[in-house]
Amino acid sequence: MSPVQKVAWTELIVSVLAIVLVATLYPWLGSAALGGFALLGVLGITPLFLRRRGNQVVRDERDAQIEQIASWFGFGAAYLLLMLSMVAITLFYSQQQRDVPTSLLSVLLWSQFAFCYALKGAIALLQYRGTNSAA
Amino acid sequence: MPRKPEPYLTNCVRELRGQAEGMTQQALADAVGVTRQTIVAMETGTYTPSLALAIRISRVFDCKVEDVFELNE
Repeated sequence: MSPVQKVAWTELIVSVLAIVLVATLYPWLGSAALGGFALLGVLGITPLFLRRRGNQVVRDERDAQIEQIASWFGFGAAYLLLMLSMVAITLFYSQQQRDVPTSLLSVLLWSQFAFCYALKGAIALLQYRGTNSAA
Repeated sequence: MPRKPEPYLTNCVRELRGQAEGMTQQALADAVGVTRQTIVAMETGTYTPSLALAIRISRVFDCKVEDVFELNE
């Protein structure tokens, strides 16, 4: 497994774990469960996978291309989903003539971060599919 | 009007490795400065290398770029 694949796996696993943790704790803790998104901070360790060890190539032109495509999809989809959900929430609450709860906006923003990194990792891993074994 | 199919590159890197005393994918990857996965992806046709990488690979096998890569239009 290449170092960039390790980064993609970390992004996918940490993001999905954060979403599952918050969804599991939300019924008991309410808004306090959002603290579970702090797990996303673990993504800060990913540059450690990319440090050079001797003459080993850690990242080449294909890795850069895969990372770029994964980022386009991840950030694009997360942005689109955020905007669409903002519109839906605004329409829903304005029809009921109520204010949008700030906790809901918080959930929305944090879940977009997690969704973005989960999708980015998943798309990167899909592109690496089938290239681990010697052909 | 039917769409013209995209041109793509085919290569004979695997055959050339075999001729070069069974050079491994890792050895070729180290020689041209990429990961082994990139060599696998190139040999299976799922990745089209950059011009710089194509030139480096042809230099390793001591032949012209056109002898290693072929453009299918």
